[in-house]
Amino acid sequence: PMDAVDFCCCTNTVEEPLDLIRLSLDERIYVKMRNDRELRGRLHAYDQHLNMILGDVEETVTTVEIDEETYEELYKSTKRNIPMLFVRGDGVVLVAPPLRVG
Amino acid sequence: MSLRKQTPSDFLKQIIGRPVVVKLNSGVDYRGVLACLDGYMNIAIEQTEEYVNGQLKNKYGDAFLRGNNDLMGKSTTRKTLTLYSDGFFSFKMFL
Repeated sequence: PMDAVDFCCCTNTVEEPLDLIRLSLDERIYVKMRNDRELRGRLHAYDQHLNMILGDVEETVTTVEIDEETYEELYKSTKRNIPMLFVRGDGVVLVAPPLRVG
Repeated sequence: MSLRKQTPSDFLKQIIGRPVVVKLNSGVDYRGVLACLDGYMNIAIEQTEEYVNGQLKNKYGDAFLRGNNDLMGKSTTRKTLTLYSDGFFSFKMFL
């Protein structure tokens, strides 16, 4: 089996940013991607490139249309559900525990 | 804070715990307390707030911002890290 995560030693302290991600293994996380995409899913695996395996994912793609006459911004979001997903790390901008609304 | 000769890693240890603004060149700002930083410029921030023009989202707890892993130099998302410190100085690091 592929080792997605490589450790020198296991500690409970956060010493570097990737440790933060390690603490989120098997938890639901929020991922902000380039091109106005967001993912919410369970983190099964990750590596130093931020490639990730996410399970039970909801992807949200947000687009803005501008009405040519009123210049109103119309935000649209499209969602889809994906049971198991490989995320390529170069598209990842931010990783966090799931957002609380507010 | 001394600005005399010190290694980059000493510097990084000193700025941890300080409030920061990390501005991505996509125009989004992340404000919070710098929790840690690594050699790839991955950043962990606590009590992060995301600003796009006005305040859009609140992220509580830790947020991880991905650095540029391409060590050969080409950076895709450019960041500036602005540090507000004691009113004596502020400076930006271009990541």
